[in-house]
Amino acid sequence: MEQKLSNLKAGEAGTVAKVKSTGQIRKRILDMGITTGVRVEVIRAAPLGDPVEFELRGYLLTLRKDEADTVIVSTEESA
Amino acid sequence: MTVRVALIGNPNVGKSVVFNNLVPGARQHVGNWPGKTVERKIGRFNYNGEEYEIVDLPGCYSLTCRAMDELVSRTYILEEKPDVVVNITDASNIERNLYLTLLLMELETNLVLVLNQMDIADSRGYDICSDTLASKLGIPVIETIATRKKGMEELKQAIEKAARFPKRASIKYSTDVEQVLARLVDTLSTDADLVRDYPPRWLAIKILENDRNVTEILAGRPVYAKTKEVLA
Repeated sequence: MEQKLSNLKAGEAGTVAKVKSTGQIRKRILDMGITTGVRVEVIRAAPLGDPVEFELRGYLLTLRKDEADTVIVSTEESA
Repeated sequence: MTVRVALIGNPNVGKSVVFNNLVPGARQHVGNWPGKTVERKIGRFNYNGEEYEIVDLPGCYSLTCRAMDELVSRTYILEEKPDVVVNITDASNIERNLYLTLLLMELETNLVLVLNQMDIADSRGYDICSDTLASKLGIPVIETIATRKKGMEELKQAIEKAARFPKRASIKYSTDVEQVLARLVDTLSTDADLVRDYPPRWLAIKILENDRNVTEILAGRPVYAKTKEVLA
């Protein structure tokens, strides 16, 4: 199932299917290693749910919610 | 003649520690957090009778000039054209670190790759074949543990060798991309001023990426319209 990365809860993981943002934000997200096929796990979110910390490629990355909104991931679990 | 060396790498990989090890008496402030160096710091050392000027650049993940620190690093490499670029990486986080390495190879720098924090990589059980990495990338690879001053002599040797026998790193892409790049490079090369200031192949790659900064560099030059014709 495909959904926004921002929809995943702590402990859940998905594989990046698409990065929908454009321009500089898209470049930055790709620069940080969020590319198609990469597994991203949600580590934790700040108290108000923004920003959110993720683990990918063996390191931790924090994204704003509106940035995570643009990343579409596929999750193995059937909903 | 002084050999000019630039240290570049992701934030918090140990660039300033390496800098302090290389420059006698340097007390570059070292802090275990990313973004400590926001301006470039300059020091000098002598090795085998040769003088080296070494610049510690702010850490960056990529070479797009979005943030001030990344701009400092990219501008230095593009405009000051150091003789040797030393890319310091965190061996314990090698996959992400090598992204910048590839960008530096695209920039056709005379590159030396340093796998720093080898102790941490070892403690995580990573077995890094630096010889294989060196032959795959076509650049020298040195393993170091800067905090314990390990590998510094090997690094100085590698810098000396790179300065003596300069080699431009490069990455070969698939045939269809290479064909377009070749046409763009031909077009760009008609602007002698431009290709004196910037590596034409790098400009061509950035044109394909639609890089805003390169678009700004090209804007207003007659060659810009011609590159659009190539891509049309």
